[in-house]
Amino acid sequence: MSLSILAYLAIILFLGLSAYKAYKYAKMPLHGRMELYPVPKEQGHEYGGSYFEEVEWWNKERKVNHMAELIDMLKEMLFIKKLFDNQRPLWWLSYALHLGIYLLIAWTVLLIVGGLTLLAGGQVSPSSGIWGALIFYLTAFTGLSGLVLATFGSAMLFLRRIFDDTLRKYTTPQEYFNLALLYCATVSGIFVWINDLTFSTAREITANLISFTPFEVSGLLIAHIVILFIMFTYIPLSKMSHYVGKYFSFHKVLWENEPNLRGSAMEKKVEQALARRSTNSWSAPHISGQAPAEE
Amino acid sequence: MINQKDLRPKDLGRSDEQLIKLESLMELKAPYDAEGMEPPFTEPKQAWREKYCASLDGYVGIDKLTRPQSKEEEDEFVRKFLRGLEKVFTDANSGVLQPFLLSFEYCAKCNTCSDACHIFKATNSNELYRPIFRSEVLRKIVKKHFTKSGKLLGSFVGADIDVNWETIARLGELAYRCNLCRRCAQTCPLGLDNSLLAKEIRKVFSQEMGIAPSPLHEKGTVNQLKTGSSTGITKPVLLDTLEFLEEDIEELYGLKIKFPVDKKGADILLTHNAGEYMAWPENPIAFAILFEEAGLNWTLSSEMIGYDNVNYGIWYDDAQAKKIALQQMKAAKDLGVRRIIIGECGHAHKAAAVVADRMAYGEDKIPVESCLPLLWDLVKSKALKFDPSKNNFPVTLHDPCNVVRQMGIVQPQRRILKEICPDFREMTPHGVDNYCCGGGSGFAIMNSMNFAEFRNKISARTKFDQILGAFQDTIEQVEPPKYVCAPCSNCKGTIRDILEYYQATEKFNVHYGGLVELMVNALVSMKKPFFEFLE
Repeated sequence: MSLSILAYLAIILFLGLSAYKAYKYAKMPLHGRMELYPVPKEQGHEYGGSYFEEVEWWNKERKVNHMAELIDMLKEMLFIKKLFDNQRPLWWLSYALHLGIYLLIAWTVLLIVGGLTLLAGGQVSPSSGIWGALIFYLTAFTGLSGLVLATFGSAMLFLRRIFDDTLRKYTTPQEYFNLALLYCATVSGIFVWINDLTFSTAREITANLISFTPFEVSGLLIAHIVILFIMFTYIPLSKMSHYVGKYFSFHKVLWENEPNLRGSAMEKKVEQALARRSTNSWSAPHISGQAPAEE
Repeated sequence: MINQKDLRPKDLGRSDEQLIKLESLMELKAPYDAEGMEPPFTEPKQAWREKYCASLDGYVGIDKLTRPQSKEEEDEFVRKFLRGLEKVFTDANSGVLQPFLLSFEYCAKCNTCSDACHIFKATNSNELYRPIFRSEVLRKIVKKHFTKSGKLLGSFVGADIDVNWETIARLGELAYRCNLCRRCAQTCPLGLDNSLLAKEIRKVFSQEMGIAPSPLHEKGTVNQLKTGSSTGITKPVLLDTLEFLEEDIEELYGLKIKFPVDKKGADILLTHNAGEYMAWPENPIAFAILFEEAGLNWTLSSEMIGYDNVNYGIWYDDAQAKKIALQQMKAAKDLGVRRIIIGECGHAHKAAAVVADRMAYGEDKIPVESCLPLLWDLVKSKALKFDPSKNNFPVTLHDPCNVVRQMGIVQPQRRILKEICPDFREMTPHGVDNYCCGGGSGFAIMNSMNFAEFRNKISARTKFDQILGAFQDTIEQVEPPKYVCAPCSNCKGTIRDILEYYQATEKFNVHYGGLVELMVNALVSMKKPFFEFLE
């Protein structure tokens, strides 16, 4: 029962704190333009061009390619393209971790779907029809590959930071802790599920967690769930929440080149932003209007 | 002094007279790979060490940052910096809060940005110039003083730096070892921007502590707001200058051209970096020849700040930037022009078209365009007739970061060059991947103490190497002349200085200039070459 509560709480806290963080960034005041080309939604984005390449650009219809923006965003989200392009050796390790995490997210969803299937009286096994077999094999594939990749990735990134002279100088103990936490979460998972490679027990436990049904638990499982709880709560509070930040840094900063044209929605936002008075102000004499004491 | 390889961000507060010494630099391409082709490093004077902060790398960028005379002054300096730093995170900084916090908070320290930095590259990967080095120092100070985690957990979260006068002064200097070119931000997998943090440090120094390099502040924005131009050119001086230029045009090229000034209701208000009138008058002359021959309805402004499109504020002080930008908009509005065309000045492009875009609204805003698409339009539409054979010498193009990487104006200038220069060759890399000239963010005009050496040897080194690369086939022959086209005043200033520093004009006949000069040189109507080096 208490494990069920802990599991639900972990998910609620993870989603809630992540959403709160996104809300905080979304609510920040309109900032000055800081776009950086190439901006994928621009028609000439292949070479980094923009609407500024047109004479009287402000008089012409703006062509925005949202699909190109979406594709670039997906390339970043799914493949970490910039790292692939600019630092391949690190990409292999980082991508192993991230792909592992994506697979484990899929695995979790599949466990829930499988658990719900069991609760609904269905079966999940190779011989229980297309649905049951699909869930069975996908769960096994995502769980096994996810655990292996995420464990390998977090361990290698941890070791790379220790043995790389440059990275070591910049890595704080907290940053080692972040990687160690991910590693502990996956390794404890491996220990828990090592004798359950098809995750049938995991699915039953998930069904029990969903339905608040008491079940027998091992000390190892309790430790795993507690680590997961800590991890899910901690991630949104730490800079590992870059899944939130990355959206804003690309969409709202580097790729945000909306011009302030007469009658546009942006003009309205600018008007509102300029009307806002700040509660803090700078103190240098040329701003505060006070002559420096010694002049 | 520390071996740079062992340097860590928390060392910035150490008591060494000089933290690191630059000795190893990237090897330049031939013929500058030979011994003795490059002037050696010089030592900073003892008097500079005593008066300023030369304790970072031996260079002094901020001539207004002087050493305290008492413990009280030292404490006050630290207190002011921390007070300003705290404000960076408040609504006093709302125009940059979201991008700043993202870059401040999320760096994964993957170190992908380092290889993108031309200064880091030029110094053979010197730790001090690693883009995340400066950012990490700033994070450590903030964590130590303003976060609960830093106060409770200390070094566990990285709050392990001594914050004293030396730390802060060196950090201030270090903010002027970045050209704010943003090339590193292009490579960041998280979309973060180290230059933003460098600029915030500059802002704290200027906006809170009143400390900024005098070429940017006193002689720059303050002078511009007082006289109308950072060059000190006032309205009467401008009008006199234009008269002289008209005489020059007639005398040199036999053309009778009258600069249109304060023409109400003109289609175009053309704005120049006023430095052009003094350092490169051939640039405003070339614009006038092209615009008149094409029959454009254009004007210059002689009103306050309307004749100088520079805005040094965008490099170090948001308040100064805004005052200047609004004054420039007012000049255009008062004239009733339809659009502003920015001449060949990169940072003026960005300041007017991008940074100032959200500083006003409604009728106060006059549309801003770059000169480059308009110039291409004149070529494409055959409004001007060219004879490309007049430009039959090797020409390469420098991409000003503000125009290309930060505005996406990539093709118009190339299309023009491909039309009018038969021997046009690109630098490697180019376009949005270009390297900064090394003069970006104020370096081009910062010449206090030994800072010019830092620019010529280090920040402009990669650009010089690119120039050598573009001309490798002819560099060691005096003929033909070689031309670096840099459609930006600050870039031109930097390239002028490196060509002189490395004696590349004298020894290898390498020249530099803008784009419009090349266009005028190729005009069929011109009876004689526009460039002195062709005469």
